[in-house]
Amino acid sequence: MEASGGGPAIADFRSDLHAWLDAHRGELAPPFVEPGTLDDQISQMQRVKSLLFAADWMRYGWPERVGGLGGSPMLRTELGAALAARDLTDPGLFSLIEVLAPTLIDFAPPALAADVVPRLLSGAEIWCQGFSEPSTGSDLASLSCRAVPDGDPATATTWVINGQKVWTSLAQYADRCVLLTRTGPVESRHRGITAFFVDMDTPGITVRPLEMINGVREFAEVFFDDVVVPADRVLGEVNGGWSVAMAILPYERSSCFWQRIAYLYRRLERLVEVVPANDRNAEVVGNAFLQLHALRARSRATQHRLAAGATLGAETSIDKILVAAAEHATYDAARRLLPGVIEIDDRAEAEMWRSEYLYSRAATIYGGTAEVQRNIVARRLLDLGSDE
Amino acid sequence: MDAAERALLEEAVGSALAGAAPGADADAALAALGWLEMLAAEPRDALAVVFEALGATNGSATALDDVVVAALGGEPRTDLAVLLPTFGAWSPPGAFADGRVRAAGLATARVTTARELLVVCAAGSEVRAVTLPASSAEARRVAGIDPDAGFHAVHVDSSAAGDAVDADGWESAVAWGRRAVGHQILGAGRAMLALARSHAVERVQFGRPVASFQAVRHRLADALVAVEALEATLGAAADEPGRLTAALASATAGRTARTVATHCQQVLAGIGFTTDHPFHRLLKRTMLLEGLFGSTDEIVLDLGRQLLVARRVPTLIEL
Repeated sequence: MEASGGGPAIADFRSDLHAWLDAHRGELAPPFVEPGTLDDQISQMQRVKSLLFAADWMRYGWPERVGGLGGSPMLRTELGAALAARDLTDPGLFSLIEVLAPTLIDFAPPALAADVVPRLLSGAEIWCQGFSEPSTGSDLASLSCRAVPDGDPATATTWVINGQKVWTSLAQYADRCVLLTRTGPVESRHRGITAFFVDMDTPGITVRPLEMINGVREFAEVFFDDVVVPADRVLGEVNGGWSVAMAILPYERSSCFWQRIAYLYRRLERLVEVVPANDRNAEVVGNAFLQLHALRARSRATQHRLAAGATLGAETSIDKILVAAAEHATYDAARRLLPGVIEIDDRAEAEMWRSEYLYSRAATIYGGTAEVQRNIVARRLLDLGSDE
Repeated sequence: MDAAERALLEEAVGSALAGAAPGADADAALAALGWLEMLAAEPRDALAVVFEALGATNGSATALDDVVVAALGGEPRTDLAVLLPTFGAWSPPGAFADGRVRAAGLATARVTTARELLVVCAAGSEVRAVTLPASSAEARRVAGIDPDAGFHAVHVDSSAAGDAVDADGWESAVAWGRRAVGHQILGAGRAMLALARSHAVERVQFGRPVASFQAVRHRLADALVAVEALEATLGAAADEPGRLTAALASATAGRTARTVATHCQQVLAGIGFTTDHPFHRLLKRTMLLEGLFGSTDEIVLDLGRQLLVARRVPTLIEL
């Protein structure tokens, strides 16, 4: 995505934003008792986005050609972090815009991006990301959901898609999907993949939500049966879908992480607010704080490198390993600091900790498992050679 | 200092220290490079570059004394030694009452050659810095696990000669000392990892380099993650200097030292268990460094207590 000059200084933006959020506290607060249902959380997120878009906060850091006001992408990061730190939205759901909007801005025909990105930012629409498949987890390049052109790929007017996706977050709510498909032979691996922007109300798409370990139906299986998509919905080049998928990495590993970190600090703070002050608890709190701080320091350095023009790559696997470990550590601390609350307590507060504790176990699995990240560190950063 | 200047400095300091034998040679090498001028002009980069090089080369310099003196607002000089807290502690090493200083702590090898010794003392609710003739202190060399480090156990029980001055700077001295030691552990950690990496790539078992086994790769990956996290916390402590950022960097350093040493020693296996291989020196030195200005466990406990009193979690560093 193009860099944008100008815009407010980060520190000014942060203090103005917090002043505005303070002034609109009542309006922005969730109208339900935490954790609420997923429906509650989604409508809260869309409502907050719409208020923030109307007040322009949601437009800073995005290019003007998609309805933004320009400025550093770090402004968006500050916004997401502020919302997470105030328990206004779930950062996992909110930060999906960071992996979806830049894809459209960088790879969609400009008119399409200008039309749809403001709808995502303003809370008018929800989008999902169709990457993983039943037989394609960590090994994304093996995906097999197939797209076939009506004739020569270069001049085709439509493509027909058949196959299945899984772990697609918010698919049952989504208006659109950024979809990776197989357009070359399977053995072409990452060279034979094409990305599409698909309307979820297209005939032939069936969504079957999956219940997660915490009882929430956040992700889904998505089936594609002869789904016809216009050729102008190809994102990037035909057979160039791997670049589209990889271009997400810098956003996922900077802005999304910073929002997650703000959320984990807030979670630790909620524990610190209520638990008895004794040395056993102090040790647990101190250790979690130490881990969060190291992660925050690393993520900050990564974002400063990105802002200075660096291309982020394999070294962000370190950030990913630290995020996952800190998320586990924060909720392990919750379990120790709140004995019995997660295991045998039916208050709403307990339901929140229980749900989030169970969800936190996914941190070492999604977005590339902890093992895959270590393989990348070993091969690319330590230059340990082949593992065969 | 820009990146190119910093790289030049790293190269100069690294090659000067690589040639120095353990002991006074590292001090001489640093003096020849203009260490005290560097510390005065560019404290942030001087601290990082010099202490990382000391860590990487296992150098035994007394530069930590200069860092503490400077943080206390004094003028560092080679004939002024500093009394450091005892192992694992970070409170002022001395007590001042009725015109007398009683103190116990550690000192670098400089204590044997310096003319004067700076002792920071608790004096009721105040903190005072007292400069004594070094001859009035009883210093005994402590070999411990790392005799080359040159540390001495020092006792003082003396009428306070010289002027006592207010020294609100003790917190600052602890923060700068922790950062210096943190950089030294970072240098040593990178050196341990480099040794383990070379060994893993060269050592062949079952017909393949041991570096090709995922269990070995993941240990080394975890060591690198720890080292990089430490570097980030030291950067944060330099960007946002303060008591808390330095304490967090110090606790991270201690934890990193253990993580890296454990993984690297396991990967080095038999050869790392011998004194033929340089690993043992790095291990022993970091075990010692971990206890300067407080141990990780004590710092973590202290941080946790502070958070539970304040009932909030400070973010400390912003974008």
